[in-house]
Amino acid sequence: MDDRIVITGLGLICAVGGNADECFDNALAGKVGIKEVESVEHSGCYAHIGGEYTKFKTPAGEDRASALCIKAAEEAVADSGLDVTKDADRVGVMIGSCVGGAVTIEKFYRDYVADPDKASGDDVLKMPISAIANNVALRFGARGVIDNVANACAAGTMSVAMAADLIRSGKADAMIAGGSDPMSSLAFSGFHALHALDDEPCRPFNKSKGIALGEGAGILIVESYEHAKARGAKIYCEILGSGVSCDAHHITAPAPDGEGMQSAMARAIENSGLKADDIDYVNAHGTGTPLNDSSELGAMLRIFGDGGKVSASSTKSMVGHCLGAAGSVEAVLCVKAIERGMVPPTVGYTDEDKAAMREKAGDFDFVPNKGKKREVGYVQSNNYAFGGNNASIIYAKEGAARKLAKPTDERVFVTGLGIVSPLGNTVEKYVEAINSGFEANKCEKCGDFVSTVGADDFAAVGIKLNFYRKLDKLSQMTCVSGKLALADAGIEVNEENATKIGIIAGTSDGPQTDIANFQKGIIANGTQSGSAFLFPNTVYNAAPGYLSISAGVKGYNVTYSNGAASGLAATAYSPRVLRTTQNDVILAVGADEDSDTVHMLYEKLGAVGSGMKLGDGAVTIVLEKETSADKRGAKKYAEVLGSGFAHSDVKFGEYGSAGSMKKAVDSALFESGVKAADIGLVLTCSNGLKSLSDIENEALKEFENAEKASVKALCGEGRAASSALEVAHASLMLSGKIGRTAAKYALVVSASAGGSFNAVVLKKI
Amino acid sequence: MNERQKAVADKIVDYLCQTLRLPKENVNYDVPLFGDGIGLDSVDSLEIIAGMNLLFGVSLMGVNDGVFANIRTLSEYIINDPDYKENRSNG
Repeated sequence: MDDRIVITGLGLICAVGGNADECFDNALAGKVGIKEVESVEHSGCYAHIGGEYTKFKTPAGEDRASALCIKAAEEAVADSGLDVTKDADRVGVMIGSCVGGAVTIEKFYRDYVADPDKASGDDVLKMPISAIANNVALRFGARGVIDNVANACAAGTMSVAMAADLIRSGKADAMIAGGSDPMSSLAFSGFHALHALDDEPCRPFNKSKGIALGEGAGILIVESYEHAKARGAKIYCEILGSGVSCDAHHITAPAPDGEGMQSAMARAIENSGLKADDIDYVNAHGTGTPLNDSSELGAMLRIFGDGGKVSASSTKSMVGHCLGAAGSVEAVLCVKAIERGMVPPTVGYTDEDKAAMREKAGDFDFVPNKGKKREVGYVQSNNYAFGGNNASIIYAKEGAARKLAKPTDERVFVTGLGIVSPLGNTVEKYVEAINSGFEANKCEKCGDFVSTVGADDFAAVGIKLNFYRKLDKLSQMTCVSGKLALADAGIEVNEENATKIGIIAGTSDGPQTDIANFQKGIIANGTQSGSAFLFPNTVYNAAPGYLSISAGVKGYNVTYSNGAASGLAATAYSPRVLRTTQNDVILAVGADEDSDTVHMLYEKLGAVGSGMKLGDGAVTIVLEKETSADKRGAKKYAEVLGSGFAHSDVKFGEYGSAGSMKKAVDSALFESGVKAADIGLVLTCSNGLKSLSDIENEALKEFENAEKASVKALCGEGRAASSALEVAHASLMLSGKIGRTAAKYALVVSASAGGSFNAVVLKKI
Repeated sequence: MNERQKAVADKIVDYLCQTLRLPKENVNYDVPLFGDGIGLDSVDSLEIIAGMNLLFGVSLMGVNDGVFANIRTLSEYIINDPDYKENRSNG
């Protein structure tokens, strides 16, 4: 398969403009879009500025994250000339976001605090990150792989890298990829609480005291070279390799040595078959916080030296920090830089500053104050995030020399399981509960199926009080399940293997409980009173971030959010990562929490009370390359053969069609080389809602004779935790730990409210 | 510890247990808050600063580390601060 991936369309909206050209022209001129913030009440705060695009008004009835994203996507789709509906199944959407529907979250809890009945179910549908990619897919009629990357400030780089990789792996021909985040009281108050806002426009790598928040959306049409050529599309540039790593150091602060940043950058260069010397321009993360800037500058100097051959700038000095959109906003600026042969500056440097910078970084070129003309053949864009996540990607002129790493044909096995479920924690307890017909733990008050983690669970996996007290329930369950999984796999993390163990996490709703707690706090006490303790927990990648710290794993680390199927997506995405990166092991996690807050949200949606019982939990599947598993003599529960994705472009909150579910199943069977008739076991995803049962019964007709198992019938709709538990349950059945199935192949299916379906085929060892 | 200081200290205990999710059995007036004691970190200290401001009207920005040693030192500083709500209403 040809690995050439090109960019054929651009869309951008941020503090310095309402389209890609306007933004780039203003950025080149060093125009600063950071001024007094209008959309957030900040009178009691020590800082008052940020980068908003106030000309764009959110249309009535919409959430700003989706609205910004759709605005940028409309520009990008029109620019590319791509006819999305022509072959809709082959067009996907991959959107990065940090705070998602935070503007609606504020509105919802303001209503709720005033009168719980006033808060509306329609608003609940606008709150999760899950909604964004689904809304974009609906707007354009895309029916391919739909997902969101929820890795806070690195999300917008990871989403573009993932889009390229999905096309390379044959899952799509074109992707609408990028990121979106609005200005919000949640983020403003949170960074304020951490004293991470600068009260003056930030001057990254210079005298900056913190960030200026921004808002915006950047969208790129990412396409296979053949597809673009065949339709005569204009080609801006190519996407080469990418690199993702994790610090495993601190939930908000980067590791001071910048080692994780450096390794993500080095991997992106290496995966592209390039040398550091080839890179002409770096769009740095450059947030303006002293911690980020000193770690990042150190990493850049170690990679590029201080000779000044490479130009590096932080465009955040003009547009502000757009969080989950940052990487995509910056991607569009990088692509324009290649197109025009001009690089944008870092602004705010006085002559005195420049002299001080020379002391610190020699002739390293920060492109002070004004953009400049120069050769721009290869561009590297870097973003780093809460959770210690680091991401880097390389863009190159069309046809530029490169040598991308070829995927291996390694088989991938399930070599360990970590279960936190309403039926008990640990594989042993879960198996005993299933085989003995125990009933799952229920919340006495609300009747939901709930998991519990207590001091004994933490002690069993060696997590201390001063660590676990900080965690919300989602993170607690994730850490325990992840550590249990490593133990079950017999993997001891050490200096040698730490960078070869990664995490792919999926969550439907993320940390909605601590998001609500944080938001209610600022509604009661003002934006200036945000909780520094709670804020780190409000990002969706906090749970896997905490897991990386507690387990010490420094490899790949990406969090996806697209409804209940996200837990299965984590397993579906992992084999490709194992075959194309340095990782030997991926911990594929599915996790979602229940709480009074989550129960209330599902009541507002009308799901609770219509036959669905909520559940929660965290399940980690250890997925390992054959060479690694065999080398250490690992036990194998099952083999992962293949996966399939399909989507119905329905309103967010509704399920898609039986036809789409069947497409996901057929494509998983095709990739696995397995016939429908050979599937002996099916893990179903019905959750008590009639709409989903009807779809599933229709879609799975040809598996009438296969044995069926449902984890949701036992443990409730635990969303991503349930879809990951399906993989664990199927693995336990195929390996003979549960029941006595004669099945050789198992099919695992999952559905997300929003229209997406995922399917995975597992094989008995 | 006099009654006045004890009232403040008990409020701090409740605040720390609730806001920083510390189990009550691990908290007393003299346990070191940072380092080897209950192991609070820099993010927790921001939360304590914000909380003392909210609860007592006292700003702890820039005060020396000794004040944060334990709940006894923290409450002592607060009752002696002219900005402490009760000091203001009495004066």
